[in-house]
Amino acid sequence: MILNPDSQALLLLCSHLALSSSLEYSPLSLRDWNPLAKKLQSLSIRPATLLGLNTEELKELLGIPEEVSERIARLLQRSGSLAIELERLESLGIHVLTRADADYPVRYKQRLKDAAPTILFYAGEKALLGQPGIAVVGSRHLEEAGQVCAEFVGSACGLSGLVLYTGGAKGVDSLSMNAALAARGTAVGVLADSLEKAIRDPQKRAAVSRGDLCLVTPYSPSAPFSVGAAMGRNKLIYTLADFAIVVASDVEKGGTWAGATEALKEKWVPVFVLDYPQMPEGNILLIKKGAFKFPHPFPGSYHQLKTWLESHSADTESEPLQPSLF
Amino acid sequence: MRIKDHTLQLLHQMIGQDKDFRPGQWEAIEAVAVKKQRALVVQRTGWGKSLVYFLATKLLREQGSGPTVLISPLLSLMRNQIEMAAKIGIRAFTINSANKEEWAAIEETLAKDECDLMLISPERLNSEHFIKKILPQISGRIGLFVVDEAHCISDWGHDFRPDYRRIVRLVQMLPKGVPVLGTTATANDRVVKDVQAQFGPGLSVYRGRLARESLRLQNIRLSNQSERLAWLAENLPKFKGSGIIYCLTVADTERVAGWLKQKGFSAEAYHAGDDGNMDRPALEQAFLNNEIKILVATIALGMGFDKPDIEFVIHFQRPGSVVAYYQQVGRAGRAVEKSYGILLSGAEDDEIQNYFIESAFPSTQVFQDILQELEKSEGLSLYEILARVNTSKSMAEKALKILEVDGAVGQTFDKKALYFRTPNLWVPETDRINRVLDLRRSELAQMQTYVDHPDCLMKFLLEALDDPNPVACGRCANCRGRGLPTSVSQELVIEAENFLKNDQIYLGPRKQWPVGLFPDQKRSIPLEYQNAVGRTLCDYGDAGWGKLVQSGKYQEGSFGDELVKASVHVIRNRWQPDPFPAWVTAIPSTRHPNLVPDFALRLAEALQIPFCPVLHRTKEAPEQKTMQNSAMQARNVIGTIGIDEIIPHGPVLLVDDIIDSGWTLTMAGYLLRKNGSGLVYPFALARATARNGNT
Repeated sequence: MILNPDSQALLLLCSHLALSSSLEYSPLSLRDWNPLAKKLQSLSIRPATLLGLNTEELKELLGIPEEVSERIARLLQRSGSLAIELERLESLGIHVLTRADADYPVRYKQRLKDAAPTILFYAGEKALLGQPGIAVVGSRHLEEAGQVCAEFVGSACGLSGLVLYTGGAKGVDSLSMNAALAARGTAVGVLADSLEKAIRDPQKRAAVSRGDLCLVTPYSPSAPFSVGAAMGRNKLIYTLADFAIVVASDVEKGGTWAGATEALKEKWVPVFVLDYPQMPEGNILLIKKGAFKFPHPFPGSYHQLKTWLESHSADTESEPLQPSLF
Repeated sequence: MRIKDHTLQLLHQMIGQDKDFRPGQWEAIEAVAVKKQRALVVQRTGWGKSLVYFLATKLLREQGSGPTVLISPLLSLMRNQIEMAAKIGIRAFTINSANKEEWAAIEETLAKDECDLMLISPERLNSEHFIKKILPQISGRIGLFVVDEAHCISDWGHDFRPDYRRIVRLVQMLPKGVPVLGTTATANDRVVKDVQAQFGPGLSVYRGRLARESLRLQNIRLSNQSERLAWLAENLPKFKGSGIIYCLTVADTERVAGWLKQKGFSAEAYHAGDDGNMDRPALEQAFLNNEIKILVATIALGMGFDKPDIEFVIHFQRPGSVVAYYQQVGRAGRAVEKSYGILLSGAEDDEIQNYFIESAFPSTQVFQDILQELEKSEGLSLYEILARVNTSKSMAEKALKILEVDGAVGQTFDKKALYFRTPNLWVPETDRINRVLDLRRSELAQMQTYVDHPDCLMKFLLEALDDPNPVACGRCANCRGRGLPTSVSQELVIEAENFLKNDQIYLGPRKQWPVGLFPDQKRSIPLEYQNAVGRTLCDYGDAGWGKLVQSGKYQEGSFGDELVKASVHVIRNRWQPDPFPAWVTAIPSTRHPNLVPDFALRLAEALQIPFCPVLHRTKEAPEQKTMQNSAMQARNVIGTIGIDEIIPHGPVLLVDDIIDSGWTLTMAGYLLRKNGSGLVYPFALARATARNGNT
């Protein structure tokens, strides 16, 4: 695979690829990387310039402490094994995008700024990431109204040329995704755990091969499920979309609640919450916190969904921001 | 100069004070260890390529470089060499599937920089464990990267291996300053150019002369197997030392070894057939110690086997290419003054070679069937694939290996080894495959020309291998105008013919149903329903009875009385089953309803026991030979054989004409035992052998 040298440097510095967990140094976290990125930018240095430099040279060039430059030098040393690991991932159909790639989703940089993940792993059509679309979130266990809503939004996206954004998990995610794909539409699944495993599912794999589905994750492609990761990826679903619809939420617990309250606070996109007489407690509270009501059943046809969402959230417009370089 | 002297001292430590560099050895060491270049060394086996990478490793380590990574398909054969390297303090470790319990310790050794040389097989390069645990320890510090058997990376190499494509990508991605050393014994110009193209510019080639000064070549054409067996018996006593007789098939090695033993020679068969039950290391050791004088081997006795005092290499059948032939015959005479390379060739050679060529690659259909099955699931084991796709196990393995390297299929080891489809697109590489097959056919044609070549035989081989300086040897039978006799005594030929006719071929019982056939049942067949050990009269298509079976089945439509007589002879005099069968029954067929029962009836009369046709076909099944693996074969039999309600008691002789998979006999035997018969003795006229290929 052809990597641009800046991306190669970012992968070496910020990913766990080809790193043994038994080693004493770890890759740079976002908190480590962001100040370094700012420094590079202020010195007009591309990340690729760092490749091949030793501890002394790094220390001098960047004016950083010895232990940091040593850690960076060691991370940069593993280009050979990184190449082998990337080769293995490619052969499984898994590719990478870094903040230094032109194809990296602009919406992440605009909306998340420093919190935009340095590295994304994906399978399928990357052009889908950030195209106009609707995010659907909600817990795995749904009442009938929730199921109907999930399938309705999925079908509506498929039939009106919008990308459906979900977490790629069971319940709401798979119901809406299957509906979108069945309508010959497209979907994006932002995964919190093993991408390697997800693309073994025959249905997902077929959609990925057709280019109708893109599965993407900021975590290692073989990562097991973890609650922290599930929480951390919520914002990556909201920030790709134009609108978000919360189908069902618990109160003060669970990923849906945390993600929705964060989205309401950050105002990345208009957040709608499914509204019906027996709705879960969480839905009621999210509406109180300022979410828009999404009626059940929806008072219109599939094709009217987008216009309806636009007209019912007209007063909020998130302002565009100048994205950082890498 | 100082470094060279120092290196020479190291060489003395390794192989003895009186030794010096062979021409080319120092140059190759200097290229990688001093100049840090990328080099390809083309030298005949036994020249000392391992000395080059061991000494280069030592020099590089002394300069503070990281460990050497050596990729070789022949790890098991390198034990002696590793011991030799230890003499100059090189600490070498192997990572392979057989030493999992040592991996953790090896990782630690690497972390402490106490490993000088890491040996790995090409397959390991793609294993997750290697990438995640081992590689990070040496990454960025590889001192020297060695690719053994480097011709394997070329499509034009004689044993192209898909795994080597990964090595190429790896070499291309290695940082600039890392020296790379490729080694091979057999690479013609075309292969060298290809390796150069793939390893990138700046690869210097060190090429030595291939000629073996002690080798006397001779070609002898004897079309019948019996004539060639007779020739062996007549001429082998002329050799004092030990030697190898190469055959193309497993069955031939067994037969030739059997004949030689009968004639009083110290000979053993050596092959990878027989489900790998043969203790090959023990045979190798006994041969090395000259406790066995003659090893009758397939190509399983392959690259890396090094016995210096082999006096002769005789080919019972003709190999498929000059490269393969030269590699095999080159095992003779490494450290003896006079050695002999005799190529016998016969009528069956082309048939076998064409079969090898045709079965070299799986068909497009097999690739597509496998992908189709994988696309329906999250992952299948090899056996689950075999239960769904009609292809042999080895073909399926070949196809999966290629699909894996192509990125269409991945492998996971969660609980068991599973293959799964990746989202990557896959198109069959028909052009590439056809190109390789064309190459094999032209190599075969070259070998056919060699057999009848009137001039110097060594020069022919050297020219074919692009030796830099091919000259007439003055030693081969053509140069000298004389050699070993090319005719044989008629008496011995008749004896060999009788041997072939009396050769007993055992029919072992199947003990387990194929994996995946009855998913909800135990796999093992209860002992009381298994067949007894049976016999077949011959191998199908053999010079002995084989031809008669063939013409009986497909031309005359009846098996002659000669075959009845021969069968009675084998059963009564050689086999002597005890207790003797009380009745005879036959495998039914809808395609040839009378053929086998008619034969079985005459056989029963001759044995003076009753014939009772209690088995019948319930429906037409495709011919068993069209079924390519155990699961398919067994499934093809199930439900197509029925049995009478009341059958005679007592042991029964179960007769069939040509056995293929053995599943028909296994199933019929199972039914007979379940319905109250005694022991079931299977007997078949011939055994189909094509699938016992070149292992």
